[in-house]
Amino acid sequence: MSLARTSSGDIVKRQYAFKLKAHIDSYSSLVGIQMLALLFSFGGVGSMGSYGDGLNLEVKYYSSDLVLVFTAIWAFVTATTLTTRPYRNHDFTFVSNRLTSSLSNILFLASISLAGALTAMLAGNLLKVFVFIFADGPIYNQGTGLADLAAGTVIALFYLFLVTSAGYLIGSLVQVSKLFVILIPVVFFGSLFLDAVANREPIVNNVFQFYIMESSLLLLMVKTLITSAALLAAAVAILNRLEVRR
Amino acid sequence: MLNSESTKPIYVQIAEWMESEILNGHFEADQKVYSQYQLADMYTINPATAAKGLSLLVDEGILYKKRGLGMFVAEGAKEKILNKRKNQTLKRLVRELVLEAERLHISREELVSMIHNAKEGEGRQ
Amino acid sequence: MKVVECNGLTKAYLKKEALKGLTFSLEDHKITGLIGRNGAGKTTLLKLIAGFTKETSGEIKVFGERPFNSLSVSANSIFVDDQMSFPPALQLAELLEEAARFYHNFDSGLAKRLFDYFGFKADGYHNRLSKGKTSIFNGIIGIASRCPLTIFDEPTTGMDESARKDFYRALLKDYIAHPRSIILSSHHIDEIEDLLEDVLLLKEGKQLLHEPVSELKEWAHGIKGPSEKVLKASEGHDILYRQLTGADTLYAAVRDFSGTLLDAAAGAGLEVTPVRVSDLFIYLTNETKGGIDDVFSQN
Repeated sequence: MSLARTSSGDIVKRQYAFKLKAHIDSYSSLVGIQMLALLFSFGGVGSMGSYGDGLNLEVKYYSSDLVLVFTAIWAFVTATTLTTRPYRNHDFTFVSNRLTSSLSNILFLASISLAGALTAMLAGNLLKVFVFIFADGPIYNQGTGLADLAAGTVIALFYLFLVTSAGYLIGSLVQVSKLFVILIPVVFFGSLFLDAVANREPIVNNVFQFYIMESSLLLLMVKTLITSAALLAAAVAILNRLEVRR
Repeated sequence: MLNSESTKPIYVQIAEWMESEILNGHFEADQKVYSQYQLADMYTINPATAAKGLSLLVDEGILYKKRGLGMFVAEGAKEKILNKRKNQTLKRLVRELVLEAERLHISREELVSMIHNAKEGEGRQ
Repeated sequence: MKVVECNGLTKAYLKKEALKGLTFSLEDHKITGLIGRNGAGKTTLLKLIAGFTKETSGEIKVFGERPFNSLSVSANSIFVDDQMSFPPALQLAELLEEAARFYHNFDSGLAKRLFDYFGFKADGYHNRLSKGKTSIFNGIIGIASRCPLTIFDEPTTGMDESARKDFYRALLKDYIAHPRSIILSSHHIDEIEDLLEDVLLLKEGKQLLHEPVSELKEWAHGIKGPSEKVLKASEGHDILYRQLTGADTLYAAVRDFSGTLLDAAAGAGLEVTPVRVSDLFIYLTNETKGGIDDVFSQN
């Protein structure tokens, strides 16, 4: 029997298609989680009122940011799940090595980031429609044009991909040692605590500002993409050494 | 037909079965016999085991090999098999019979008459 | 061609050695039985061959390559056992389609016919199958994939008698039509003995023997008679097993070293019987020369 020749590219493609089908359940959980976020958002994220001289003024803010936050949590969880043993084993039932397994995972993560970004943006519009129908009084809103929607989707895509990359790395660290389950939160909250004790601005805050407060779209894309690449490279290097089915 | 409980190796059982087929006249001289793969399929055994059974018969001159064509029954195969069975199988059985008779303290005359009886019994059937 | 080559292959899990310096090679197009008791290292070895795990020391080559992270080894081999894991979202028929997309030689027609024969439903789910059905389904994938190296680790776990027979017969028929290298591990040697060409016997992570299975029936002889005579006849040979079967009657399984054993036994008027392969393996892999009876005869 002659040996079959295969290329990594070909196997990555097949694994990617396989994963799109195999993770069908995660799409329905995405829809569920976005619905939930919408429900919370519908109450308004903030309101203020003032009274005087028989005049009663009440302003209510609505934002679909919560949908994006929930979507990010979903993306993070999905990314970490990919690194768990059952999911790694699935690949090795058929043809795989650790590199093709990771590369197809990354393609899959990029895809769910895109799906998450698109649906989150559309959910934001849905919120506007709801508010338009159900809320009383005049409505003022920002960013309804197609260009805004496109820009919003792109930004959300890059953020979500950054989140999944971090999730993939953290997931793979946990696969090396379960200690990381404790270690990572300890480092995170520990740094917050230490910064508070030292009475300085938290590092976490700086990190947040570095990525979120970037006003240039191009710079934001460059920043998140480079960070994602670094996180994923580290994860691939870690996963490349791990045994399966042991 | 094969007996995995038997203490005889499978390839010996295959060879013996092939011999019986020749004795029964299912295969004539210069006729092609089953290939190792047919035998393997028939008895759910490894083809290499079947091949070993066949080559046992080639070694004894009961079968001969034609390159690329398969195994064929040799001239005078039947006689060879009969001779072999007489000389080996029957002799061994007789030896065991005699040993068992000694253990049971059966006299020579008694044993001979038992053989006579058995033969007559077979004749009547 | 050598399909698998191991040289001083050692595998340790947390300092406990599961394999201790295996050196052997497997030839192309043979069905090799990997035999051993529970914990002898069978599965450990097979997972190394499949490239799932990493050797601790020594060398392992499959198709001339180190299997760990080799895409070529993965594409040309399949590891089948009852723990094979599939995405729970996919239906059984979809799993067969996926297998066909990954494995070059996959015979979808054969897979479908076996699938129907064993009464699987296309819209069933793998994680809802019974133990025996799981093994059958995995076995179908293993056979239909026609990988140049096909590894079955205890493939008939949970199968009933007739399913086992059908499975092994299907495997053999497909092997005859499409010869390839197959490794079958089992602790039921009786079940697979006829199917095998070679046997690799493991004991406590070491290899005990690696021989054609046809040689094994004459490997040792059972000798029975008065203890003293049995012991005398087997002098200079290796007694693998002994058991008292009467007041002074000893049964001993003896490995013949010089070809003089049978004559000596016959001369002493002892009863000589061949030793069944499955019994031989029990004797060889036992911790002591006695059997379970000795545990009870201590008091």
